Amino acid sequence: MSEATLPAAQAPTFAPRGRTLRRLRFFAWVVGRNPPTLLGLLLVGVFLLLAAIGPLIVPDPHDAYGAMHLAIKLQPPSLAHWFGTDEMGDDILTRVVMATRTSLWVGLTITLIAVVIGIPLGIAAGYFGGAIRTVIMRVTDMFLCVPGLVLALAIVAALGPGILHGVVALAIVWWPGYVRLIEAKALTLRAEPFVDAARTMGASHARILFAHILPNCVSPLVVKASMDMGMAILAAASLGFIGLGAKPPAPEWGAMISTARSYMPDYWWYSVFPGLFIFLTVLGFNLLGDGLRDIFDPRSGRG
Amino acid sequence: MLGFVARRLGLMVLTLAGLVVITFLVSNVAPADPAMLAAGPDATPDMVATIRHEYGLDRPLPVQFLRYVAGLAQGRLGRSVVTGHAVTEDLAIFLPATLELVLLGMALAVGFGMPLGMWAAVRRDRAVDHLARVFAVSGMALPEFWIGLLLLLVFSGWLGWLPIGGQLSVADAPPAPITGMVLVDALLRGQFVLFGAALRHAILPAVVISLPALASVVRINRAEMIEVLQSDYITAARAHGVAPARIVSVLALKNAMLPTLAMIGLRFGWMLGSSVLVETVFDWPGIGLYAVNSAASADFKPVMGTTLVIGVLFMLANLLVDIAYGWLDPRVREAGE
Amino acid sequence: MRRRDFLIAGSAAAAGLHTQPADAFVREGKRKILVFSGGQPVPLLDPHVKYDYSTRMMQQSIYDALTKYIDNPASIVPWLAKSWETSADGPTWTFHLVENAKFHNGDPVDAEAVRFSFERGLKLNKGVAWMLKDYLDPAGIKVVDPHTVAFTLKSVFAGFLSFMPWWFIVNPKEVMAHAENGDYGQKYLTDHAAGSGPFKIRRWDPQAVMDLAAVPDYWKGWPEGDAKRPAGIIYQVIREPAPRKSALLRGEVDMVTDMTPQDYDQLGKTPGIKVSSNPGMTPFTLMMNTRHGPTADLNFRKALAWAIDYKAFLQVENGAAKLMDSPFPNAMAGHIAVPDMPHRDLAKARAYLAKTKWPKGGIGIDYVYVAGLEVERQIGLAVLSSLQPLDIKVNIVGMPWPTLVARGTNPETGPAMIAVYVTPVSTDPSVVAAQYTSSAAGSYWGMHHLADPELDKMVEAARVEPDQKQRMAAYAEIQKRIVADQPAIFGMMEDRRWAMRDDVRGFVFCPVRLTGEVDFYPMWVAGK
Repeated sequence: MSEATLPAAQAPTFAPRGRTLRRLRFFAWVVGRNPPTLLGLLLVGVFLLLAAIGPLIVPDPHDAYGAMHLAIKLQPPSLAHWFGTDEMGDDILTRVVMATRTSLWVGLTITLIAVVIGIPLGIAAGYFGGAIRTVIMRVTDMFLCVPGLVLALAIVAALGPGILHGVVALAIVWWPGYVRLIEAKALTLRAEPFVDAARTMGASHARILFAHILPNCVSPLVVKASMDMGMAILAAASLGFIGLGAKPPAPEWGAMISTARSYMPDYWWYSVFPGLFIFLTVLGFNLLGDGLRDIFDPRSGRG
Repeated sequence: MLGFVARRLGLMVLTLAGLVVITFLVSNVAPADPAMLAAGPDATPDMVATIRHEYGLDRPLPVQFLRYVAGLAQGRLGRSVVTGHAVTEDLAIFLPATLELVLLGMALAVGFGMPLGMWAAVRRDRAVDHLARVFAVSGMALPEFWIGLLLLLVFSGWLGWLPIGGQLSVADAPPAPITGMVLVDALLRGQFVLFGAALRHAILPAVVISLPALASVVRINRAEMIEVLQSDYITAARAHGVAPARIVSVLALKNAMLPTLAMIGLRFGWMLGSSVLVETVFDWPGIGLYAVNSAASADFKPVMGTTLVIGVLFMLANLLVDIAYGWLDPRVREAGE
Repeated sequence: MRRRDFLIAGSAAAAGLHTQPADAFVREGKRKILVFSGGQPVPLLDPHVKYDYSTRMMQQSIYDALTKYIDNPASIVPWLAKSWETSADGPTWTFHLVENAKFHNGDPVDAEAVRFSFERGLKLNKGVAWMLKDYLDPAGIKVVDPHTVAFTLKSVFAGFLSFMPWWFIVNPKEVMAHAENGDYGQKYLTDHAAGSGPFKIRRWDPQAVMDLAAVPDYWKGWPEGDAKRPAGIIYQVIREPAPRKSALLRGEVDMVTDMTPQDYDQLGKTPGIKVSSNPGMTPFTLMMNTRHGPTADLNFRKALAWAIDYKAFLQVENGAAKLMDSPFPNAMAGHIAVPDMPHRDLAKARAYLAKTKWPKGGIGIDYVYVAGLEVERQIGLAVLSSLQPLDIKVNIVGMPWPTLVARGTNPETGPAMIAVYVTPVSTDPSVVAAQYTSSAAGSYWGMHHLADPELDKMVEAARVEPDQKQRMAAYAEIQKRIVADQPAIFGMMEDRRWAMRDDVRGFVFCPVRLTGEVDFYPMWVAGK
């Protein structure tokens, strides 16, 4: 991946304020020209909004905490219940929206842990090279030799079900990807002449890392992190579907679909709507990530 | 070239060792007492103590690790509490079904993905192209278990065209095994009606498992095709009045073949991983469902065994892709890296 | 062929113990095979070691006993024994066996086989042993002649006859020929049979498919006539209700159980399918661990009992159940409606809770149920919802039945609440009363670990009481005492339901059979 520099069209201006403004306008222009990215931004925006204010706007907040209304169970979508009701009579719309919050913190936590572990290891491997690099990269490869979901399944099977264990398992599965990314970047930057120049001038390793290496890692990191948010949420929902996710009555998209299986095909709405939310959320993050990649690296040749 | 292969093999062995370490660590971090897990739910305390001693679970961790490795070398993966059989026996029975599903999925991904991608490139920026691009992006975002349920809902629940799950129905006896894969064996034995029945069961899960790969293949072929269409060579050919369609297709195919194969090879491993989800939805008797059922019953050895097997297959697939790439790409072949 | 066995169930597998050529499941020549599907496997077939609904369904098909329960209300009919009498002076029962009964391998079923079987059951001291071990010693069983057996009990016991149908007779020669290390043949009988019943094992894969072939010359003959009798029975384990329902609708299986209430309602309206719905004698209770954890405190248990929304039980079942008004099922002799039976009264619940270590709640308990049983899962959610006002959190955990029993029978690891169906094995009230004595510990009906010495005495006294009126009065007191001890949340008696295709004939409901258990002997599939 090449370096994250602004295209020539954007020349630095004199006033710093103006530069930021121009940058923002440029971003907006790029995004505006790219419908998929716009869609992604929209979807992610809605997702974040629902996660933030969801509990305040849902019709039956108690339905996410175990309230039961068995008299109205398994009803099809209607004006009173837009997504219908589930087997305990809970409003599915409420539960799906409340689950947004769960998904957000799950995705965020997994990505954050992975980043926090991945960056130092990646930088150490790429910058210092040698034995350190070999050791770190071999260990990283070890974790990458099994498809993520299978490894996560094994870890959760060992730890026991529950959403916290799922997060831990997925974080363990995710961090190697960041090590690889940062290592590649750090390696490239290490070879840059300005790094040698800085060393010659007596700059310490720490200064070089913080002032030169890290900032240039930010953009690929942001791209990967934003795509990973979506994939992490999908992975967590998958674990929930297998039955190793959140414990009842906590609403969680994957777990809802798992229960809904017993009620197919007659009560189809039960599985359709949670899945739709997963799909749109992940799609949003994927599109956003793609769009960010376009912005930061327009020459990446996506055609 | 040989040096290249040797290095890759060496790396794989190292990674394999790492996989063994990881699986051992994971199985020993279980909060549940492994002796109780191994003894099974009906065991009395003395039985558990006996098992603990028999399996060496009262020894220090490094000793246990050596015993574990020795056991692996002899092909022992433990015993499943739920089925009562050796994990290796169970895996030998379930693996062909998963392989069958994954191979079918790969065939679908390549068989439909390549023409679709190329067609989208030819009709660039028209409806087909947009659809293909949307599909390429959403392919990754679609939860496989959800789309599987939806397809079941439509094709099995509402239309009744396809069965709701399983590899064959109760009424059909499977063909006498040659490869262990029902579709292949039915063909080899000339049982075409049975083949048809098995295909009806296999088509939906294969489609679902192929979706992410299909999306990637479409993307690659579309990109390759666009490049080819814009290349000087094609422009020159057109100028000479040579029929572009045939040349374009052949050239695009040649160019796309390598990255497509590489992608598919990598996807093989990921598909093995998603077997866990797809087999659950479709009740498909493969190692994915085996692992999920075992995990749900807190039966740990099968989960570990499945992880190891999938890991090994994954590494083999990566190795093959690396070698194939190295062989096909003359630069790598010459350099020997 | 091994592969076929689990192709559909998709669950774990292979036994491969028999290598017969592949047959079509559903037909054998012109005869049909009856295919039954439920969610519970049969890991242990040995009739003297274990029983639950799926296991006994297989045992009843493969083995015979001296007598048999049929019909509703349940009655005992002669089987291997054609007649019996009890001695005038003492506690001796003499059984006269039929002459023509044979084991599957040709050996005659004689008095020695009966003696051996009872001795084996008593000596192994598992499974059915509890029913007789206090009254019968192996030395008290005598072979009078090849077709006569005498049982001399340690004391008079009126209930002796009611337990006879559950003691199956095994072939001593075959069992001992396969005994290892003095295990009395337990390893062998885990997945092999030495029986004389109407069916024998053709293929045995306990987690997926159990294929039984009919014995054409079964010594008792076939009630529907040899022309109509099935070629065999297949019990197919399908763990999830959705694929099981689908298999029924497609005609791949003929009869199912373990379905959700919604499924039964829908299936009842489906042409070609009929649902048999029978008011049950099976209490569904939430057993509480009276020895460890917060539920060891009687006040805590009372608080829970008065907080539960019992209406939810009926709603979950879509009305196909009746609430329990006593620890005894309604159909049981001696049943009374216990006064002051707990119902939802939050004020009372809070009053009880105030006397515990957690007057304001703030504690969590585990609710454990059998994974795959949707009704139990929903009841768990109902319990969770009911206890929220008390600030008691409920952790709902599903696990397979064998794991659940293993955890629950150990008082230290036993969860606070376990959802269990316990069908009484006979219509005599002593069997239900016995479930709440200290002798029940270690069995699945005793997972509450109640140890009330006064109750033990009352149950013992009632069991041997000769005067019927006194006896029933004693049981009335026992019921009140059990409710006072509150070892379980007394829930409901679920209507016992099966869904089957229209052409399944001969099914007779018998209330003493366990939840999904079916007697296959009189059944067949009609039609071309």
